[in-house]
Amino acid sequence: MKRSTLVALGALVMLPGCGAAGNWGWYVIDPTTPNGWSNITFLLDGFGATILLSVIAAVLSMVIGLLVALPGMSSNRWLRLPSRVYIEFIRAIPLLPMLFWVFYGLPVVLKSIGISVSIDAFWGAIITLAISDSAFTAEIYRSGIQSIAKGQTEAAKTIGLTYTQTMRYVILPQAIRRILPPLANQFIYIVKMSAFASVIGMQELTRRANELVVTEYRPLEIYTLLILEYLVLVLIISFCVRWLERRMDADESR
Amino acid sequence: MSDTPRPRAANAIEVSGLNKWYDTYHALCDIDLTVAHGERIVVCGPSGSGKSTLIRCINSLETHDGGRIVVDGTLMQDASSVDAIRSEVGMVFQQFNLFPHLSILQNLTLGPMKARGLSRKDAEARAMKYLEKVRIPEQAHKRPAALSGGQQQRVAIARSLCMEPKIMLFDEPTSALDPEMISEVLDVIVDLADSGMTMIVVTHEMGFARRAADRMVFMDRGRIIETGTPEDFFERPQTARCRTFLRQILKH
Repeated sequence: MKRSTLVALGALVMLPGCGAAGNWGWYVIDPTTPNGWSNITFLLDGFGATILLSVIAAVLSMVIGLLVALPGMSSNRWLRLPSRVYIEFIRAIPLLPMLFWVFYGLPVVLKSIGISVSIDAFWGAIITLAISDSAFTAEIYRSGIQSIAKGQTEAAKTIGLTYTQTMRYVILPQAIRRILPPLANQFIYIVKMSAFASVIGMQELTRRANELVVTEYRPLEIYTLLILEYLVLVLIISFCVRWLERRMDADESR
Repeated sequence: MSDTPRPRAANAIEVSGLNKWYDTYHALCDIDLTVAHGERIVVCGPSGSGKSTLIRCINSLETHDGGRIVVDGTLMQDASSVDAIRSEVGMVFQQFNLFPHLSILQNLTLGPMKARGLSRKDAEARAMKYLEKVRIPEQAHKRPAALSGGQQQRVAIARSLCMEPKIMLFDEPTSALDPEMISEVLDVIVDLADSGMTMIVVTHEMGFARRAADRMVFMDRGRIIETGTPEDFFERPQTARCRTFLRQILKH
């Protein structure tokens, strides 16, 4: 992390504490008091759910996205069409209405076709995030794969590789380094959007902050801490991605 | 592939009445071309004349809109015949098209291992054999980017040879090379010609054509204008278009 980022972060935390006496009540999250400490641990406990939710949704989104993207690049328009429709349709639905629809509506639809399942907040959020995001990951795959020169596919054909082998051994290994940065962006997006899971009762970071605000009446301090929680999470992800990119570059120039 | 040896087809390649359009542009018009086993054909002509399109049709990298293509007795019609034809035909591209993320050795073993089911050991032995043939066995563990253009093109030739094709197609194999690297690639192709490989070479290297070709094919605007032995072709061109082309290309 750059030093300037650290300074800015420090200022954000320190400033309110020094000035504007009376408007701030940092005591709610003061780790030196028993109440403050228990509040902090209550808030931090949301990390597990947020991370688990985001990681599972991101993995599913990457799988669905690839399965949507590949037929989308076919020369056969009947294979292309469903992929196109899926992307345009899913991309047009805002996350929150989709979350409500999946959580409250999907079990009803499934029941009417004889499948009786209840969808809890955790899986409701994962399904919504994964599907909503998959339209974007599909487009990322498409641009990454199409950026690999056509000559690579042709060379693979002339040495007898099948479509699947060409993708697996020739195209995807090259596309992945171009896909990685925008895919990491999408992961960060998922982490942030997972906050919506709070409205259907998922006990993640935002839900916990909301609940604490209701009992402590200190929204400013608690939401400030909440924002910092997301900031730290996203910075860690960025750092990991950059490390991964550097590793791949080092691997390439071998 | 079946175990019983197939009776050898009369010709390596038979193209008849071949037509291809890009929308309204008539890229290939009524092409007839028969290539005997072991024959070496050099195709030349001005840019946009359809030379590359023609050889790309022969291994179905381009689809055609009319006419017949028969390669070693197999009529090109459906996906399985295309697979069968591609397994007999190797191709070398102007831009090499090596796989940049794989080592030279991996570039050569990928096809034999994945498409032919060879073990790694056998595939590597075969790869080294052909790397020696193109005279760069010492580069086996480098990535393509670490090699010169001439070396990369020789690797591309070796990669094709690893599939042990009966026919080799060369699509302007030296056009992307610096001048000082052209001869090292042409020498390898001449060696291959001397070994009896059937080949079609699209090139502007007329010195190579005189040295290696059995027959010249001159194309212009999607048609074959003239064919003949190199001697006839260079000394006694029959058509005005061909004479103009030769004058321009041999001017220096």
